[in-house]
Amino acid sequence: MDAFTYFAMSWLSPELLGLTALGTFLGIYVGAIPGLSVTMAVSILISFTFSWDVNYALCLMVGVYMGGVYGGSRTAILLNIPGAPSAIATALDGYPLAKKGLAGEAIGLSTVMSVVGGFVGIIVLALAAPTVSEFAITFQPRDYMMLGILGIMLVGSLSGNSLARGIFAGALGLLIGTVGLDPMTADERFTFGVIELWDGINPVAVMIGMFGISEALHQLHHMNKAVVKQKIARIIPKWSDIKKYMPLSLQTSFIGVIVGALPGTGGDIAALMAYDHAKRTTKNPKVPFGQGAKEGLIAPEAANNAAVGGAYIPMLTLGIPGDAVTAVFIGALFIHGLNPGPLLLLEQPHMFWFTVGNLTLANIFVLIFGLTGIKLFSKIVECPKGILIPLIFLLSIVGAYAINNAIIDIWWMLAFGVFGYFMRLYGFPVGPVILGVILSSLTDENWRRAILTERGSVSDLFINTLQSPLSATLFSIIVLILVSQTPLWTKWLKPKLFRR
Amino acid sequence: MKKTTITLLAALSLSSTASFAEYPSKDLQGVIMWGAGGSTDTVMRSIAPHVEDALGQDIILTNKSGGVGAISMKYVNKKKADGYTLLMGAENPQMHKVLGLSNLDYSDMIPISILARGTPMIMARNDAPYDTMQEFIDYTKANPGKVKIGSTGKGGLTSIVLAMLESQVKLDYISIPYKGDGPALTALQGGAIDVMPAVLGAAIEQIKAGRMKAISTVDVERNELLPDVAPITDTLPEMKSYLPWGPFFGVFVKKGTPDEAVQKLSAAFKEAPFKPDFVDLMEKRGFTIMNYTGEEARYFLDAYRSTSSWLVYNAGFSKFSPEKFGIKKPE
Repeated sequence: MDAFTYFAMSWLSPELLGLTALGTFLGIYVGAIPGLSVTMAVSILISFTFSWDVNYALCLMVGVYMGGVYGGSRTAILLNIPGAPSAIATALDGYPLAKKGLAGEAIGLSTVMSVVGGFVGIIVLALAAPTVSEFAITFQPRDYMMLGILGIMLVGSLSGNSLARGIFAGALGLLIGTVGLDPMTADERFTFGVIELWDGINPVAVMIGMFGISEALHQLHHMNKAVVKQKIARIIPKWSDIKKYMPLSLQTSFIGVIVGALPGTGGDIAALMAYDHAKRTTKNPKVPFGQGAKEGLIAPEAANNAAVGGAYIPMLTLGIPGDAVTAVFIGALFIHGLNPGPLLLLEQPHMFWFTVGNLTLANIFVLIFGLTGIKLFSKIVECPKGILIPLIFLLSIVGAYAINNAIIDIWWMLAFGVFGYFMRLYGFPVGPVILGVILSSLTDENWRRAILTERGSVSDLFINTLQSPLSATLFSIIVLILVSQTPLWTKWLKPKLFRR
Repeated sequence: MKKTTITLLAALSLSSTASFAEYPSKDLQGVIMWGAGGSTDTVMRSIAPHVEDALGQDIILTNKSGGVGAISMKYVNKKKADGYTLLMGAENPQMHKVLGLSNLDYSDMIPISILARGTPMIMARNDAPYDTMQEFIDYTKANPGKVKIGSTGKGGLTSIVLAMLESQVKLDYISIPYKGDGPALTALQGGAIDVMPAVLGAAIEQIKAGRMKAISTVDVERNELLPDVAPITDTLPEMKSYLPWGPFFGVFVKKGTPDEAVQKLSAAFKEAPFKPDFVDLMEKRGFTIMNYTGEEARYFLDAYRSTSSWLVYNAGFSKFSPEKFGIKKPE
């Protein structure tokens, strides 16, 4: 049983075990601080672990990755600042829970479901990696474009009371996302000759501003309101709750694995799609979505941790990164003298099961570290506003600077913070703006690649879409979702078909 | 009051000259032109520890990607010319002037070292009905507007290789831009594109595994890693005038940096590429170690700029004529 020996390598060696634990612990905090990204932390670790044995370095980095993806939920729940774009959806229902005094329970539940998601990702990686990666690379530009459109349709789920306002906010986000050099022709778009705008406005800066700063400014209206006392009696979720939400978290975990395994999409889009899935499939939530529905917390958390295992699938089998972090892992393997690529597993057969074992271990540490210290963290929300609000500002500014070590990101973050504040004041949801910024380039680039492929012929694109089983499936999903919301279906067909 | 200021200034300037004798007396900052995980990042992160040993100071590495390299150029040139900020970049800025992207290129900086050069290859999807350059040309001529070639935007390696090709043979194909050679090579494996010119190192593992095929080496001779692949000059001998040509990695400092600093840095970088782990990394990724410093580096940079600038100018996608910037025609 070679596989098992490799799997257990990091479990049995005290040094490897310790490094994985350390990595996971650090990762949770790196992930929790907005702007400090896992990608950045892992690339710093490459230099730091340069002279180490490759297994040691990998244990530390895998820990940081697993911990970091989970950690993003912490600040999202406690302060409404998602630690990373993959935690945006977590903030939507996690923060309302904290405002109700249920921060401890929210963190506990998100930890358990993150770990469930993590395991689903690892199991799919272990059992079906070659199949999934061959499937993932067959995604054509038109398929990515349709994924983008599916994503944009989530506006419906993020809009709150007024769909029109949601669409307005989403369109604004798409527009913000087009700033910068045109990805196809390198022509400048809305840059006004400023080099710093060539790469566009960083989505993380927009995110920190729109969520963190605008919330902090909003809090100033309620300076006299007493802070909510946090109920910290129950932190480890009830078994009945876990059982109740398990089907949902398994479904969204699978969304996470697949979207994570696609080389063109990552945990952020996976989490948003999972949130949408939860909202569509939950018939009668106890609490409405957006006001602290547990389903809305669980779905994105399970999905983004499942995306970790997903991202490893093309990386280990084909040497193709599933996301930005696995791209850095590929660089690290090169530096350590390995050849990440389709032959990696032939040349280094231990690498696969070693990584699977390592991820499993890191996932267990997420559970342990995630469930300890929650009481202390929940207290953050009880801080007097006079302390909490400056703290949010400080965290947001440091985070915005850390994205790219650029002052300009701080200004963007503050500007979007003020803008987001006014949007809230006039009842516009901020979620769709970020959604638009994230999905803008995915949809834009792939639509243009798709239409270039057909030499500009829309009818050819349409015919080819219907001829490919994958594209046809995605297309039907989009059509079904649209039709199911139109009066034709809801008023006329549905009552006829389902009359009993 | 004025007097004290002058004395202070004098003392300051004295102390700063004095401190230069011991350059480097503090940590250096290494600004990497491209993002984490890319080939520039990998090369720079693996050379830096050896240079640190030689200099006796740490190099703090930061990635400042964006603007096709122009942002890191601008950033380093805003810093003091004291030898404490290194630009660790790739070939891209050499095209910025003619493409109208920026008014800075490497002629405005001091080269410390040109570390290595990559060899461009032309890769094709595994089930493509052509295996050699000639067959590819014949197929594309017989099927105009059918072959999909990936690219990485104007001024990138792909666009220059295609401009070279264009100068020899007229082909009608569809060009589909990607954000880098990584995503494009993934698309090649998924069948979204048929052909992709890219640097050997980015594709070598996939070629060895038989997931894509190399139809030509864009060089005058065969590459040791792929001895079966014919050089492009076998099919198109006129290409010799451009070759050897390839993307490179180099380290630069701002113009005006004191000579002592330049010398010390050059000496440190001259030793580092001989370290076995670096040699190994470069060989595996198919990069040729150059280790050029001083005049040699300058000559290489000028030759690269001249060949590439005139190529894109003649292909019609440069914004300005190379003459505007005094870039001589290649001989």
